[in-house]
Order: sequence, then C-alpha cells, then structure tokens
Amino acid sequence: MSEATFFLLTFILYILAAAFYFVFLFSKKEGSAKAGFMLAFLGLLLHTLALILRTVESGHAPFTNMYESLSFLAWSSILAYLIIEWKYRVRRAGAYFLLIVIALMALASSPLMPKEAAPLVPALQSYWLWLHVSVTLLGEAFFAVAFITSIMYLRAEARERKGRATPTGLSAQRLDAISYRAVSVGFPLFTLGALVFGMVWAHKAWGSYWSWDPKEVWSLITWFVFALYLHTRIIMGWKGRRSAVIAVIGFLAALFTYFGVNYLLSGLHSYV
Amino acid sequence: MRAVIKFLTSVRLAIVLLILIICSSILGTLIPQGRSAEEYLVRYGQLGGLLQRLQFTRLYQSFWYVGLLVFFGLNIIICTLTRLMPKIRRVFRPLVDADSKNIQALKIKEKFRLTIEPGAAKEAVKKELVRRRYKIKESTSEGRISLLARKRVLGWFGSDIVHLGLLVILTGGVVTGLFGLKQSLSFTENQTLPVPRADFSIRLDKFTTEYYPNGSVRDWKSDLTVIEAGQSVHQKTIEVNHPLTYKGYVFYQSGYGWDWQSPALEVWVKKSSDPAYLRKLSLKVGEKSVLEEESLQVTVVRFLPDFVLDENRQPGTRSLEPNNPAAFIEGWNGGEKVFSGWIFAKFPDFSRLHGAKETELSFELKDIKAPQYSVIQISKDLGVPLIWAGCSLLMAGLFLAFYWPTREVRLVIEESGGKSEVTAGGISAKSQEAFMKEFSDIMSAARKTR
Ligand code: HEM
Repeated sequence: MSEATFFLLTFILYILAAAFYFVFLFSKKEGSAKAGFMLAFLGLLLHTLALILRTVESGHAPFTNMYESLSFLAWSSILAYLIIEWKYRVRRAGAYFLLIVIALMALASSPLMPKEAAPLVPALQSYWLWLHVSVTLLGEAFFAVAFITSIMYLRAEARERKGRATPTGLSAQRLDAISYRAVSVGFPLFTLGALVFGMVWAHKAWGSYWSWDPKEVWSLITWFVFALYLHTRIIMGWKGRRSAVIAVIGFLAALFTYFGVNYLLSGLHSYV
Repeated sequence: MRAVIKFLTSVRLAIVLLILIICSSILGTLIPQGRSAEEYLVRYGQLGGLLQRLQFTRLYQSFWYVGLLVFFGLNIIICTLTRLMPKIRRVFRPLVDADSKNIQALKIKEKFRLTIEPGAAKEAVKKELVRRRYKIKESTSEGRISLLARKRVLGWFGSDIVHLGLLVILTGGVVTGLFGLKQSLSFTENQTLPVPRADFSIRLDKFTTEYYPNGSVRDWKSDLTVIEAGQSVHQKTIEVNHPLTYKGYVFYQSGYGWDWQSPALEVWVKKSSDPAYLRKLSLKVGEKSVLEEESLQVTVVRFLPDFVLDENRQPGTRSLEPNNPAAFIEGWNGGEKVFSGWIFAKFPDFSRLHGAKETELSFELKDIKAPQYSVIQISKDLGVPLIWAGCSLLMAGLFLAFYWPTREVRLVIEESGGKSEVTAGGISAKSQEAFMKEFSDIMSAARKTR
C-alpha cells in the first residue's frame, strides 16, 4: 500500500474517532469515548506508517512542503491529545480536538497543497531540519490542546457561574489545571525546537543565529505570550478566565506563525 | 529612589514590558524592514518619512526597541535577585524547628499517634523519608523533635536559571550587535582575498554547483585554502550547512553568481545563400570583430543574462541567472550602421535585426562564458558562545522549573505519656497530586511502626 492509501485510512479513522467522541458528548456513555480513543490511537499508528513511508520514498524528513508539514502537525496533535487524555481523562475534549485534527488533515489533502516530494534546496539538507521542525510542531500541538481545554474552561466557567454543574465531572477548575499542564509541556518543547534549535540551525546554514525574519519574530511573539501566561499565573495568581484567554491568544499566535507568516509575510523561511 | 526600585522590581512592569515588546515586534513584521526611502514613499506616501524617522523601518535595531529589551533585562536581573536572596537563605539556613500549629495550617497535613517513644518514632519516619530520597535536617527543643525533609531542592532555582539563561542570551545579542563581524566576499576561482581584521587569507580553489536530475540546485561547494604567511595551513570543502571554522572565524557558503561585467560571447554567423558558410566570432561587450569578406564590423553593445521587457517595453534583466541570455549587436560598414538588434541564446528564432540590408546574414548567440564567483560569508562573533551557553541554561532551567518539583515535608514529634504525637505537613509548588500520594504513602508507612 502506498503512503496516500495510509493517509486516507488515517483520515477516515480520525473522522470515525471524532464521531464516537461526539456520540459520547450526547450519550455520556463511557464506551463511546473509549472507542473514540482507540480509533484515534489506531489512526495514529497508521499515520506513523504513512510518515515513515513518505520519508523512505522521498529520502528526506517528512516536513518540507505544506502537505507534509500539515500531516506532521496533525500527527503531533493526535499524539499530544492522546497523551493528555490518557493522563488526565479529558474525554469531553476529544470531540472538539479532533475537529482541529480533521481540519488539518482536510487542508493537507486539499488540491491546493502540492503533494510531490520535491528535492531539497541546499539550506534544508541538514539533520537540524528533523530536530527543529519536529520538536517545534510537537510543542505547538500541546498549545493546541491547551487551546481546546481553555475554550472548554471558558464555557464551563460561564455555566458554573449560572449555578449549573458541569456534566461528567470535568469541572472548570480541572480544565484550568489541565490547560496549565499542556502549556508546561508545550512551552519547553517550543522553546527547544523553535528558538534553540532554530538558532543553532540558522547559525550553521545562514551564518547568523538570529535575523529578525518574520517567522522568527512571530515565534518569539508566541513564546512571549506563553511567558506572559506563566508569569501572570505564578506571580499574580491569575487563574481561570484571564489565563484561559491568554492561552487562546498564544495558540492563535502559534497558528499565525505556522500559516500566516508563510502566506502573508515573506522572508528567509519561505521554503514551503 | 525607593519608589524607582519598587517600580523596577515590580512584576507588573515585566508584564507591561512583555506586552509592549509583543506589540512592537508585531509592528515590525507588518512594516517591511530595511527597504529604500523611495520604496517607503511609494508604499506609505507622506507617512513614509515619519516611519523612518521613528526608526519603524529598522525597528529591531532601533534605539527604542533595543532600549525596551535592555529595560526588560534589567527588570529580570532585579526581579530575580530580590527573590534569590530569601530563597538561598531558605535552602541553606532553614528554620527547622517548627510548631505543630504552623504545620496544621498547611494544606497537606496529617496527625497521628504512635505507641513508641519519640526517638524511635523519629527513626521510623526518617527511614521512610530516606527511602524516598529526602534529605533531612533535625532539631530538638523543649522536648519536641522537628524534622525538615526535602528533595529536588534545585527545582526551586529553575526559574532563576531560566532568567540567568535569558540574560546571557541578551548579553550575547548585545555582543553580536556591537562587535560581531559579518562580511560577504565574492571569490572567483583561484582568487585569494585577505580576511578582514585577521592575519590570514583565504583562497578559493574550486567552486562547483551540483544539480538534481530535474535541474534544480542540490548544493554549492567551495574548496577553500587558508593561507597564513604565504603557507597553506588548512583546507576544507565548504557547502551550505557545513561551514569552515578557523581561529574564531567562520566561513559560510552563502551564494554564488556570475560576473556579467565582461562575459565572453560566441556568436555564429550564417549565410542563407551559402549553407557551408559559418563564421565563429568571439566577442566581449564593447569589442569589435571584423567580417573581412563582408566588410562588416560586428560589436556587442549590451548583454543581459535574463532578458525581459519591462512595462515600458524597455529591455532589462529579471535576474542575474543566465535564464535567457541576450546580446544587443550592431553591424557597421565604415561609418554607417547597417543593422542592430537583440539575439537570444535560447530562442534563436526570435532574433530580429532592424535595418538589415544584408538579409543574407543571420547571427546566433551560441555560448556565453562568464567567470562564476562564490559568495562566502565571513563572520567572527564572540556573542555566539554566549548564546549557546544561555540556551543551555534556559533549557536546564525550564526542565528544573517544570519537571523537578521541590518537595518539602515538615514533622514535629512531641512526647505525650511515653507515646509520640506526630504532626506532619507538606509543601510542593508543582505536581500537587503526585506529592499528595507520596505524602500519604509515607504517613501510612510510618503509622504501621509499632
Ligand atoms: C521572556 C522572558 C521570560 C521567560 C521565558 C521567563 C521564564 C520563566 C519561567 C519558565 C518561570 C517558572 C514558571 C513556573 O514555574 O511556572 C518563571 C518564573 C518567574 N519569572 Fe520569569 N521569565 C521571563 C521574564 C521575566 C521577567 C522580565 C521577570 C521580572 C519581573 C520575571 C520574573 C519571574 C518571577 C518573579 C518568577 C517566579 C519565580 C519563582 O518564584 O520561582 N520573569 N519565569
């Protein structure tokens, strides 16, 4: 079977997983959520195979054009989500989170994204491509989890303020704590991948570790927003609503770093 | 003065600064940076001048942006130092003696009785704590024994190490900005150029471009020799992502190009009435070549490597790559211009010569040879080691801050009628749930001692 077949099967599994998670939202039967989890996990395995095949076929890291990069981001997102769900039992988040993953997969398979594996331009021929991109996208995947749990927090908090209890025991307070856990995984990963590995690679490839290129500046902005998240939390004791809003802004900044910079601003990073 | 210090230490200032830095960084990505004055005039009209005067057009090097970063650095230093002193005291000279009432005020706590005397109870509890790698300090006063047990104390300093790393990175940035040397040199093959501010030179021995089967560039390689006092002392082939480092200088393959100042052109002349007729002319721009039998002088007036007509239908070059080489040639007979026009290497059929009386002759641009040069970027930057040191501290600090949570258990053992009254409490800033579990494990193990 080819990479494209695995990709399609993965996509179908993610859609099925989302469907089961949605059934869980309404039926509240644990079994549906468990089925969703298993399907997403199976999808992750097939997706891993697809990425490996892609690497073998193209002979280079599977994130050198927008199709590959979106597919890898979807893969990291599922991985991040499954880890968080497995550790913190946030089943209700599955339905919403899988929508993001499905959007990424749909975008990757849209005809707008060229799928051929093009030969690598000289600057990309480096093992730092692996380290820089994979760690950064994994960090961003955890920010995506924090984004969903923060939005769920905002809804749960509004509901609790009106005196209604949250169904299935996922209280607003718990969602807040889980967002924080996701950020505290995402922040070090993003720091390492985007900023540290980015600087090391830029130093090797371009001869200067920092060029104030729009992609670099936007990564820095994303990083500052999450630094703001951590500091307002630990020092000023901001929890809950304000924290959640900062986490949402941080993810949007990460999203802009990922998409917006490529399409709206130009610079050294315009490889894909 | 006190108010100033208070302001500088305030974390609120850090937050305000962070927001200011975020907003101005965004601005810098919206306004194109480092373009020419004309371009800003076209793009923003009157506003262009103002933007330039406010340094919005080289924002990240601007006085006020760098000022913001320095201010931010100062804020980090002061904030970190004011909190570091109490932390160090708490680690090295802790108050071990505690009152059971204070312990009871903690969030995680437990109280129980053991039917053994306090000395034995202490040993039993200590055994449990040591087994879980806690370091223990104890003190005895007024008939009560106090224990202070901790582990992963370094975790407390995680944030300080992060901040130290940031300061080292900022310092590295300043060093780069003030003293970093960065220069591009263009070498043609066999050319030797002195390295600026150094006592050695570099020679380019060979420059090669490798291509993929589809024609796109795979890599550029330059064979470099370091020459010191007339001697070759070091040799290396550099390519993109693989620079040469010598005496603190780093040499990067940064680009390539052709020297189009005076390319050697080969022009073939054919005659339609005589298929056997072929003259090959070697020409440089501005040079004349004579076709004796035709009493014709041919000159190349202009050469363009990548011919294109601009919006005013004037010829120009799209790039410096030889994608569409074209030469403008003229034919002279005595003082009279006989014809002139563009000939194209890739599109011989497009050649149009105006005023050509000798319609018999046709000209083809067959070959272009221009010296190729390799662009080598030279940098010497003492800021770089600081950046790597800062990054290492930053990552180590992040790990400690998030994944090395300090745990602290305090116990007071008091005697009451030959038995022991144990009050215990725990503090952990991070990973509360895991700590609560460990705490209750320790306590239930201690309770089992008889
Ligand atoms: C972008 C720059 C900064 C980064 C990346 C950063 C990073 C961090 C991190 C990772 C922590 C630990 C947070 C946690 O344990 O949850 C922290 C704590 C802290 N930061 Fe920063 N920081 C930055 C700038 C600043 C500045 C400018 C100040 C100055 C006011 C500051 C003051 C503090 C304080 C007071 C703490 C709490 C320390 C503690 O009690 O452990 N930070 N910072």
